[in-house]
Amino acid sequence: MKRILSVLAALLITVPLILSLAACSSESKKQVLRVYNWEDYISTSKSGDEEESEDDSVPDLIAEFEKEYGVTVEYSTFGTNENMYNELKINAAGYDLVCPSDYMIMKMINEDMVEPFSQEFIQNGTYSKYASPLIKELFEENGWTQFAAAYMWGTMGFVYNPAYVDAEDLSSWAGIWDSKYAKKSTIKDSVRDSYFLGVAYVYRDELNSLASEYSAGNLDSTEYKSALETIMNRTDEETRSRVKDALLELKPNLYGFEVDSGKQDMITGKITINFAWSGDAVYAMDEAEDSETGNPVYLNYAIPKECTNIWFDGWVMPKGANTELAEKFIDFLSRPENAVANMNYIGYTSAVGGDAVFDEMVDWYDESADPENRGFDEAGNALQKYDLNYFFQGTGDYDDYIIYVSEENLNRQIYAQYPSASESDNVILRSAIMKNFTNEETAAVNEMWEEVKGLPIPVWAYIVIAVIAAGIIIIALSYVYKGKRKSAKPKKGYHRVPTK
Amino acid sequence: MERIHFSRKQLCIPYGLFLALFVIIPMLLILFYAFTKEVNGSLSFSFSNFIGFFTSRAKLSTLLMSITIAIISTALCLLIAYPVAYILARSSFRKKNVLLMIFILPMWINFVLRITALRELLDLIGLLESQNYLNTLIGMVYDFLPFMILPLYTTLEKIDKSYLEAAADLGGNKFTVFTKVTFPLSMPGVISGITMVFMPSMTNYVVSDTLSNFNITILGKLIDEYFTTYDNWHMGSMISIILLLIIFLTMLATGGFKDNEKEARGTNLW
Repeated sequence: MKRILSVLAALLITVPLILSLAACSSESKKQVLRVYNWEDYISTSKSGDEEESEDDSVPDLIAEFEKEYGVTVEYSTFGTNENMYNELKINAAGYDLVCPSDYMIMKMINEDMVEPFSQEFIQNGTYSKYASPLIKELFEENGWTQFAAAYMWGTMGFVYNPAYVDAEDLSSWAGIWDSKYAKKSTIKDSVRDSYFLGVAYVYRDELNSLASEYSAGNLDSTEYKSALETIMNRTDEETRSRVKDALLELKPNLYGFEVDSGKQDMITGKITINFAWSGDAVYAMDEAEDSETGNPVYLNYAIPKECTNIWFDGWVMPKGANTELAEKFIDFLSRPENAVANMNYIGYTSAVGGDAVFDEMVDWYDESADPENRGFDEAGNALQKYDLNYFFQGTGDYDDYIIYVSEENLNRQIYAQYPSASESDNVILRSAIMKNFTNEETAAVNEMWEEVKGLPIPVWAYIVIAVIAAGIIIIALSYVYKGKRKSAKPKKGYHRVPTK
Repeated sequence: MERIHFSRKQLCIPYGLFLALFVIIPMLLILFYAFTKEVNGSLSFSFSNFIGFFTSRAKLSTLLMSITIAIISTALCLLIAYPVAYILARSSFRKKNVLLMIFILPMWINFVLRITALRELLDLIGLLESQNYLNTLIGMVYDFLPFMILPLYTTLEKIDKSYLEAAADLGGNKFTVFTKVTFPLSMPGVISGITMVFMPSMTNYVVSDTLSNFNITILGKLIDEYFTTYDNWHMGSMISIILLLIIFLTMLATGGFKDNEKEARGTNLW
């Protein structure tokens, strides 16, 4: 026994040693960049085992980066922000670059978990050259510029099937509370997204009057935006209980909650309204239009008039990261041609502008018959102007960033990809960042969500429990009673044989 | 050459290591997390999770829902499985194996795939969008029926036929023979069937999520939420411990039956 133990002990000591030696010898040659990203969130053939990976037309950005800089990229993925955060807490020095969502970035900055970027990167990097002015301004206002670089961004809204849904109904978040659409809509099985929806519904009157104040000229755009953001980030007890009641009222009107099935259910027609992230909306619309699936269905995307949530995922460097290489990687991904590759692969909208990205968008969405003289369709009718200057201006050499689309396509992919910022429908103006809640607020909001998910308990459940409990008590009592009688009055003719 | 000789103790080492590494240490970790809380980055001993569970309306109703669903699906499984197992055990030899295989067959297909297929089937029938509870129960029964049939079948098959003949000879009609002889003798099978179905159906949230469109929350789902999205491992561990306690209590209660049937215990498959 002793010998076995000592052998085991020796093995336990030597195995990690050998492993670490082996690891050292390979690492010493090349620099290593350890990237931690969402699943399926970069154009690559490395991590996925899907069909696309075998397609030569999909650029493998990780491999290209490795080749260009002569480094090795260790790429790993996570499924939720919270999983990523826990992994970083356990393995603090394990990653050079991670890509959490907005609120998680705020939390990490607050907790001093991230390295700042170098001045060189902030002022002269490829990212700083091509990042959209919209994103830059957003980051500047919130003080994130030093620590985070945006990767993908978008809004929240409804994907809907115009054949069954009146677009007018979805000009308000209250649309899905309408019994007209009973059992025909889904929302996300996610606390934060559903909470946002609930807050927008509960305070819709306040939000609407704020908007009319703004259009009447009583508020300037900064005041309007900050008031909007304050409302959308309320977590006080009254708000929580009102949101809970609103969501509990909504629950029976829903088809259900969903994590990833919403896109598919829209395409197959199980539901006609889906509360979705803009990137998923683009995917759903693309898939539904794809004639290979049978008869094409044209879906639309709507962003209600009250407000929307502008969200983004961004790169941050955890404390102790190889910042130099991490910055190179961000700059590499921010080259417009690589941003195009990512947008093609992921389906979300890159935070990076540039003429190459705009050209791709013209290629995807512009319906002009003559590329030299854009603005008219084949019949010579004028097309609608879709102004993207708010996003692209300053990131490239063109004077004007305008895409011409037909009337019916105004509410489709392009609207989800780049929401309009026009006078009549200024989505950018009415969009709010959903901030990071404190731990107490998060716990309280989670508790609220649990109640929404766990209630109501149907009456028959109580009956079943009561019947079972009564049954158990009766059986137990009868056993006790029987047992007593047996020992008290043994039957005639029986003599108990004493056991040893 | 010296022969390598292993004593019984040594042969137990692989399993002992496995047990320590994957059962005991994780259990201790769960216990540790359940009875601690994080205050300003440092952990301290606390009953707050325990109290938190029993003062939260959401968690108690989830517990109630899980128990209800588990009870009903176990009862349904028993009602469906008993006649099947009875007929199987009584039928002639050749048919029996084929029949048994048909009942076990679904277990060989991946479980998630089965449930996804069931979702489409329910959609086709038109139940999917309205009958959340019914769908979940159908899914649970569909999923766990083999676990009820197998132990029932093995116990029923091993019952000595001479007991039944003796009971009939003594004047018992078929009903009396069943209630006084067959059923009591099959009790170990019933008990192990119940434990095999009741416990997993309290936690199998893939079924409830997929078939109720996330409308029904059961304890397993709650644990998952606490570990993945709510980011509170302490409460997640506490719910796991409470679930463990419930299972332990059920075992204790059903164990009382088992001891009365000592000689029948050997026929217990699980």
